[in-house]
Amino acid sequence: MSEDDAEFVVIGSGPAGVSAALPLVEAGRRVIMLDGGDDRDTQPGTAWERMLGSRLEALTPDDGLSPKMRAPEARALMGAFQQQVQIEEKDFLAVGGLGRGGLARIWGGFVGELDDDDLRGWPITAFDLRPSYDVVVSRIGVSGSGDDDMAAFYGASGALLAPPPLGPTAARLLRRYQSVRRDPDFALGRARNTLLTENRWQRQSCDYRLDCLWGCPRGAIYDGRHDLALLRQHGNFALRDATAHRLARTEDGWEVVTTAGGGSLRAPRIIVAAGTVGSLHLVAPLLRTATELRIVNSPVIAMPLLVPRRLLGRTPTSGHSLAQLGFRLSLSAEPGDYVSGAVYEMIGLPPSTFAARMPLGRRAATEIFRALAPALVVATIYFPGRWSQNTVTLHPAANGPRIEVRGGVAPGFDAAARSVRRRLTAIWRRLGARPLPGAALGTAGTDAHLGGVFPMGLVEPHGTNVYGELRTAPGIHLVDGSVLPTIPSKFTTLTVMANADRIGRSLAGLP
Amino acid sequence: MPQRLVVTGASGYIGARLVERARQRGCEVVVLGSPPPGSDVTAIPWRLGEVPRLTAFLSATAVVHLAHDWASDRAHGTGPDNANLKGAEILAETARGGGLSRFIFASTTSARPEALNAYGKIKFAIEERLKTMPWSEGRIFCARIGLVYGGPERAQYGLMAKLAGLPVLPMIGLDREVQPIHVDEVVEGLLRLAIDPPLGRQTVVIASPAPMTFGAWLRTVRRARHGRGMLLVPVPIRLALAGCDLSKRIRFVPTVERERVLGLAGAAAMPSAGDLAALGVWLRDPFRALMECRPARRRPVAESAALLRYVTGARVRSPGAIIRLARALRRDPAFRRAMPSMAVRWPALTRLVEPMRPSMQHRVSRRLHLAAMVAESLPDQPKRRVLWFVTVGVQLVLEAVATPFRLVLGRLAA
Repeated sequence: MSEDDAEFVVIGSGPAGVSAALPLVEAGRRVIMLDGGDDRDTQPGTAWERMLGSRLEALTPDDGLSPKMRAPEARALMGAFQQQVQIEEKDFLAVGGLGRGGLARIWGGFVGELDDDDLRGWPITAFDLRPSYDVVVSRIGVSGSGDDDMAAFYGASGALLAPPPLGPTAARLLRRYQSVRRDPDFALGRARNTLLTENRWQRQSCDYRLDCLWGCPRGAIYDGRHDLALLRQHGNFALRDATAHRLARTEDGWEVVTTAGGGSLRAPRIIVAAGTVGSLHLVAPLLRTATELRIVNSPVIAMPLLVPRRLLGRTPTSGHSLAQLGFRLSLSAEPGDYVSGAVYEMIGLPPSTFAARMPLGRRAATEIFRALAPALVVATIYFPGRWSQNTVTLHPAANGPRIEVRGGVAPGFDAAARSVRRRLTAIWRRLGARPLPGAALGTAGTDAHLGGVFPMGLVEPHGTNVYGELRTAPGIHLVDGSVLPTIPSKFTTLTVMANADRIGRSLAGLP
Repeated sequence: MPQRLVVTGASGYIGARLVERARQRGCEVVVLGSPPPGSDVTAIPWRLGEVPRLTAFLSATAVVHLAHDWASDRAHGTGPDNANLKGAEILAETARGGGLSRFIFASTTSARPEALNAYGKIKFAIEERLKTMPWSEGRIFCARIGLVYGGPERAQYGLMAKLAGLPVLPMIGLDREVQPIHVDEVVEGLLRLAIDPPLGRQTVVIASPAPMTFGAWLRTVRRARHGRGMLLVPVPIRLALAGCDLSKRIRFVPTVERERVLGLAGAAAMPSAGDLAALGVWLRDPFRALMECRPARRRPVAESAALLRYVTGARVRSPGAIIRLARALRRDPAFRRAMPSMAVRWPALTRLVEPMRPSMQHRVSRRLHLAAMVAESLPDQPKRRVLWFVTVGVQLVLEAVATPFRLVLGRLAA
């Protein structure tokens, strides 16, 4: 395909970019995708290469990072992004990924749909998203349970694959939950992950080797690269290894100028899917400086739990290290006012990350962690985005605005978090788990559940319409997390993909 | 056309390196006098003070004159019979006659008329003599070289490397300023002068632009090579000279040259930043450069094996893992300070030198974290079936025993 006659330029090959591009390409539209990575970074390598990097680039202290961010693949993706996207952060971690498949290469794979309660304040309803949820769930492959207490919470779109076997500690918690008296405010069930439990097309099912953290060479966990392979089968799609640097208006559309002599591309419409932080960086120069924007994240707390009855049990030698269970806790009688989260088993996570934070000698910390690991789980609790209070300031500068992000939580969050922890502590105890000291609130942004920068439905220069089209720059469509008007407690990636699919579909003129 | 260089003193510390580097760059090299040991470079027999055969200079562009006759300094002092003075003059005249365009004379930062030692005085005298030659403008260059280190342990650097092995050292001139420079940087500068000299600089200083005291330099060498500090005891110059004289009289005690002692006592700094910039020579961090030297290389391997042994509780049999950790250690800034040696010898004692709270700023803690990461990447993790409460109990008892030590040693080892 010639590069001059593209109808759409899609910036970014992450879940949002590919989801928006697929309906366009399938409808015969000519699409060029820009991506800052290349195909070389997909070599699996030996065990130590996957864990430390072939040049030992990941063998540096990872003080305070979540274990999945210390993997070489994660460091490479995020490092490349940080080099391109200069953002001043204060109490905020501007997480983004530069490379094929986007940040989804290091995600947890946890998915759930939003319902009408979650979508309050959005200009669209669950009805608008349903067909797209169906398409996306069927395409990426989601495994989980369709008939436990959490099934309705995570939604009913698409056909579910059989859930993977539960880890023994998680299984114990779930059995206990099913046998004790139900608490109407709390629900526990199997997690829903984009983890293949059967082979499909070019991806293989999970082989339960407990090393998900270091990248899945079988492709059992979804990331944008799998859809990229689908896109590349079409003659009206082209992929270019270039990083978008700047957007410029032309007489009949837009021009994307790329970095380092990659040239530029023109098209009537540009689809920006560079990830919330990446899109902010690209679109900010189109806005007036000194504008104050918001960036919403989902404050997250990790709570380690010990299940004493499991101490004498066997150490599992197989399994996966994605979320085992999901839970929901109502905060008030109001619908949509809840926190939710996931339960992970510690087996399969590197002891060093935890040992580094224990107030013990290294040997003792490692040995004790190993001895207790079969009985340990960690629960992550995600709070709705309204508890976050981050600001984005665009300061005027010579070449494009300087972007400053300050992280913070809303007043009253500490009290709310304490109350949630107290309630959950009581619930975990009933289920036979003892919360351990060391619960920690992650730095704002590390959750990567970002949004609210260019909210759909907001009538302001930085607002977007229901097609993600920026009010101040018609022809620029944002399709990633940046357009989500709110961030609920649920994981948002599936919704980002469904929303991108919906926008792609309408731009393609499809029903 | 390849440049052709004539080099004297090619078997010396700087000369050997210069010949090697020049040939790597595609220059043709002809050596006057003895060639570097084991080299196949073209060598023409010659001694300082002799008139070299003119054929040596055929189609050559520059002479780099590094040769120096120490014996002559001793025998003749700064008198007119000093072979260095006559030799340089003859060589320069002959080279001019052979049609060479440049003559580079290796001088020293101690070259000055009031230098305490003969070496500094004679180098200064040679500089003066060469500069008064009628054709010297734009053709004769004097390179005043600082305190050279790095590469093979020879010459002054060899002595320094030996001294750095000592924990306590009585020394003179500790407060004198020296300007250390790596031998490769010297070679770089000399080659630049020979091939493409910067305009308008006849005397250039090839030495560190940031002078440091001789004492600080000795400590740097020791810390980089052995990871330890050094106790330096200042010795008055008179006492040292008396010691030199005494050492000549006592048999079986190595003789210490007055010349070297005086050289140190008379050292003073010269500005060099402008010259280095004009030459396009960028200096590396001497500490890092010294760490790359040979004996220091064994340290990370020993440390790495000990650390892995402590974290895993068993001897790690994968050489790959030990080497990977050693590589990571070597490039880590925390590695500048060595592990306490008792923890390297008896890994189980590492427990006593850890800090009370793990911190990535603590040299032991940080190393252990890297070691744990390497241990995790090994395919077969130790799978011992021990009841959990036994493990936890034993470890907690050991921790309790280690606590008083860690309160003291852990802080000292920070």
